[in-house]
Amino acid sequence: MPGILPILGANARQAVDSLARARLRTALGLVGIMIGISSVIAMVSLGEIAKEQARRQFEALGTDVLLVRTVAASAAPQGISLADAIGLVEAVPAVAEAAPRILGHGEFRHAGRKVGQGRVQGVTAAFASINRMSLQAGRFVSLLDADRHFCVVGATVADAMRQGGSGRIVGETLEIGDILFTVVGVLDPRPESYALPVQVEADESVFVPIGAAGRIADNPAIELAVARSSAGVDYRAAVADIRSWFRRRAPDLQLDIITAKELIAQMEAQMQTFALLLGSVGSISLVVGGIGIMNIMLVSVAERRREIAIRRALGARRRDIQSQFLIESVILTLAGGLLGILLGLAATWAICRFTGWEFLISGMSVASGLGTAAAAGLFFGFQPARQAARLDPIAGLQAE
Amino acid sequence: MTAPRGALRLIDVRKSYRVGPVTTEVLRGVDLEIGAGDLVSIMGPSGSGKTTLMNIVGLLDRPSTGRHVLDGRDVSGLGDDALSRLRNAHVGFVFQAFHLLPRLTAAENVCVPLVYRGTGRREALGRARAILERVGMGERVAHRPDQLSGGQKQRVAIARALVGMPALLLADEPTGALDTDTADETMGLLLELNAEQGVTVLIITHDPVVARRCTRRMRIEGGQLHEEDPRPPGSAGSTAPRRA
Repeated sequence: MPGILPILGANARQAVDSLARARLRTALGLVGIMIGISSVIAMVSLGEIAKEQARRQFEALGTDVLLVRTVAASAAPQGISLADAIGLVEAVPAVAEAAPRILGHGEFRHAGRKVGQGRVQGVTAAFASINRMSLQAGRFVSLLDADRHFCVVGATVADAMRQGGSGRIVGETLEIGDILFTVVGVLDPRPESYALPVQVEADESVFVPIGAAGRIADNPAIELAVARSSAGVDYRAAVADIRSWFRRRAPDLQLDIITAKELIAQMEAQMQTFALLLGSVGSISLVVGGIGIMNIMLVSVAERRREIAIRRALGARRRDIQSQFLIESVILTLAGGLLGILLGLAATWAICRFTGWEFLISGMSVASGLGTAAAAGLFFGFQPARQAARLDPIAGLQAE
Repeated sequence: MTAPRGALRLIDVRKSYRVGPVTTEVLRGVDLEIGAGDLVSIMGPSGSGKTTLMNIVGLLDRPSTGRHVLDGRDVSGLGDDALSRLRNAHVGFVFQAFHLLPRLTAAENVCVPLVYRGTGRREALGRARAILERVGMGERVAHRPDQLSGGQKQRVAIARALVGMPALLLADEPTGALDTDTADETMGLLLELNAEQGVTVLIITHDPVVARRCTRRMRIEGGQLHEEDPRPPGSAGSTAPRRA
């Protein structure tokens, strides 16, 4: 259809001009739309970020990690026995690896100087492989170390030791509490992953053989066992097998088994709550803003009755007038939408900082923000535009 | 598309409005025949149906009954869109209050009819400048209406009415808001354009001086139209009351 573009172009110029004139009114209308769109942006962005977070989770550790914990009020005060935890791999084919842990806490001293304070984790070699920890020097502790006083230091602890002037850390002596340990390995720095079933805090920790941990930890019970299910095994089957193994070995034990899949599902549920909240805030402010836009447009139509009549006399059809006012309201909401996108991204960034998720700008969220803004412009601009198109040109020409 | 020529006929046109239970008949059987290139004035007191007649001739309004034939085509039954298109192609309006769009420059104002025809902005501006040149406003294409005098505004409005090459120029009290000298110049311009471009000109006026310069003079009274004698007008024109 020839000639639509010039009309649209002229309409758009006209719209920008008339909006620029009514600055205060325009600004008020924009605020509502801006808040509405920013909620939409934050909602979609956070959803995308959570998905991305889950994907990275999967890549980093896989979703085959299970966390086996004793319930605090368990009738068996001794908790999981070391033998049972280690025997799990042999006895339950669904479990590929198992890593029990005894968790203690202590201050670390080296050459008479404090080099850190943090977790003392009594573990086996499986703990390093399940949690994908790697070494920059030496070796990790293993069951073969039995109760010998060997330790592996985390990256932050190692840095503190280096500042004390020791070049080679492996072979040095580290005081944990009052007990002397020989360093056998140094870990690479390892960023903490918050969505994991296990909080490792490797950088600030010292790892000792599980057999030696009993002397340091206040509560030498095996606090948890992390297990990795065998490839191709459904995690639900693995959970059932683990439960039946412990039921046979320690009938009094009450176990709590958490899977990475469940955690991801939990995170997604949390995200959905977030999304629902943002979604309702967003839709309410969109409606409020939209009514504001509608009001602005109705006033604008009333103020420009004569202009409309003149345009009609010069040959504008009803649909030309209608599109002029629709374009005006869409430009208005798109401007609000652009501001809303900035605000929404800023809010998303703040939430990411707060939760420790990695911030990213998703094209999806920007597109949905602009789409929503344009749709709001069309929706709330429709009635005023229709009213403008239906004005009687004869009356408009005579009005003073 | 054949070029419009500007011949129009009204055959027994009646127009009545209903306000509540009261029906008022504003036009009571108007017959009018205007040939292409005619220069016609219509005079009449307030409330005589002048404006209604002009709205019908200008395709802004439709007769209640009767026929409106434009260049041989009956347009009385056309819908709103068709009337808009026809208005755009066929009719140029000049109003007493100029009715320029205040935010647009002279050239942009003149472009408006072309925009609704789908002419590109560049071409439309070119044509607008040319016609503004023709009406003696070539120096003021970029001025806004509030920077122009009354006479200048009316020249821009005439340029706007003519830019789309309409067959019919419809002027409602074109000199009503102008002082005598400016009114005289404006009338001169309309006469020139009528002679030069062959556009049919229909002027509705209170002013016998204006009416006297037209080749055909009509009076409307009580919703009925009469053509006056082609003799120089005397008493008929001078009795017309001047609108406040």
